[in-house]
Amino acid sequence: MSEILKSRTLQMVVLVLSFLFVFVPYFIDVKVLTDFSTQLITIAAIISAFTLVLAVYSQFRRGYTFVHRRSRGWIFKAYMMTSIVLMLIFAVYSQTSGPYNWVMYAIITPLSSVNYSILVFYMASTGARAFRARNGRALLLLITGFIVLFYQAPFTGAFFPQLTPYSLYITSTLVSAAGRMFLISVTVGAIVFGMRVLMGKETSILGAAKEEK
Amino acid sequence: MVNPLFQVPGIVSGRALGLIFDVVLMLLVVYYMGGGKNIKIRRVPGLDAIEEAVGRAAEMGKPVVASFGIAGSGFDYWTMAGLAILAHVAKLSAKTGTRLIVPTGGSDQSLIVRPVAEEIVRNAYLIEGRPEAFSDNDLPFLSGQQYAYTGGYIGILQRMRPASVIMTGSHASEAMNIAETSNMIGAITITAGSYVSNTASLACASDYILIGEEAPAAGAYLSQDPTQRASIRAQDIYKAISIIMIIGGLIILAAGSDVVIRLLVS
Repeated sequence: MSEILKSRTLQMVVLVLSFLFVFVPYFIDVKVLTDFSTQLITIAAIISAFTLVLAVYSQFRRGYTFVHRRSRGWIFKAYMMTSIVLMLIFAVYSQTSGPYNWVMYAIITPLSSVNYSILVFYMASTGARAFRARNGRALLLLITGFIVLFYQAPFTGAFFPQLTPYSLYITSTLVSAAGRMFLISVTVGAIVFGMRVLMGKETSILGAAKEEK
Repeated sequence: MVNPLFQVPGIVSGRALGLIFDVVLMLLVVYYMGGGKNIKIRRVPGLDAIEEAVGRAAEMGKPVVASFGIAGSGFDYWTMAGLAILAHVAKLSAKTGTRLIVPTGGSDQSLIVRPVAEEIVRNAYLIEGRPEAFSDNDLPFLSGQQYAYTGGYIGILQRMRPASVIMTGSHASEAMNIAETSNMIGAITITAGSYVSNTASLACASDYILIGEEAPAAGAYLSQDPTQRASIRAQDIYKAISIIMIIGGLIILAAGSDVVIRLLVS
């Protein structure tokens, strides 16, 4: 049975059928198909939730093996496992008050915010490296960057209002046009990638390399 | 609200043109893939650099760090594209005897993607005849929280000092922290800009960047398989059609007609 379930052909059949059951009702107005598609999406969401439980269990098992063998850094795995168990218990008790809520809002959220705010230093250091007029294109980037920066920053924006139309033109016309081209190319790339998956040409994402076939 | 130019009975309102375009693209892909033609495509510096990056790591005796993103939406196409690139990197690493470290995590959904990534890397080592070199400890799950994952990833980079960092897939704002750290430690940094908003910053922080559809096309490009490369040709044709429509639409709109807008909402 497990061999059948692991069969690459069966996986491809499920992939193609799932695609058709969602793709066709999106365009063709047939109520039965639309209802079925909605139900399929709900089923997929439920299966996905179960997969998450399995994935957490798998992590827990890996962690246990790690701790059991006393591999390097096992103490961190033990900490992770203890945290998972405690948070599960706390979440069952209450998610809107009590220890779960406190851990989420007094520890995880502030720590994540601090980490996120550090991003600004990374941006500044990247900007400092990029903002060197080594050639014509770099000079263009530098000028454009400063126009947008001066407009966006409140202090300089108030002192140099004459930069506003240039900055608005750059952001709403040039950046917007480039962004849309990016989106078009990415979407086309995604569709073609999907086609390759459906045609069985991209088996690596199923956990197998092409040579395995 | 602009009136659609045409409507097809039985087709959901406003989706007829989308259906036609999708079918055309699919037919193009099937046609080019089925033809078995040997299609030459332009070199993509970012993808060519992957081999250079792994080779450099092998020469220096240092590890390669590769990631497929935080998979915030599970198996979205960016993650799948990242996994396709990871498969290639894993094969190269196995072939050259280079240690490959794949930090995973960053979202709850990444817990689901991780086992697939592990299978991909394990298979790559198996195919290259070096299954003993594979260790699942080299695919650490750092955290389900985005910035805890980022802290862990940066910690790995600081401690391991890899020769190369290949960061593809669905990385979000944490991509900048990782790319910049990678740059600071002197590693070759190859990234894929999966969001318009961070592409420019990543381009500055990386040695090579895959822009737009280059990442989803990577699997086809790297495989050297004619049928796979044909898909890129189909993509290019479709993009040419899009460009023609944009320019044509601009001219027609400037001439005072809204026919293209009506066509697009059909």
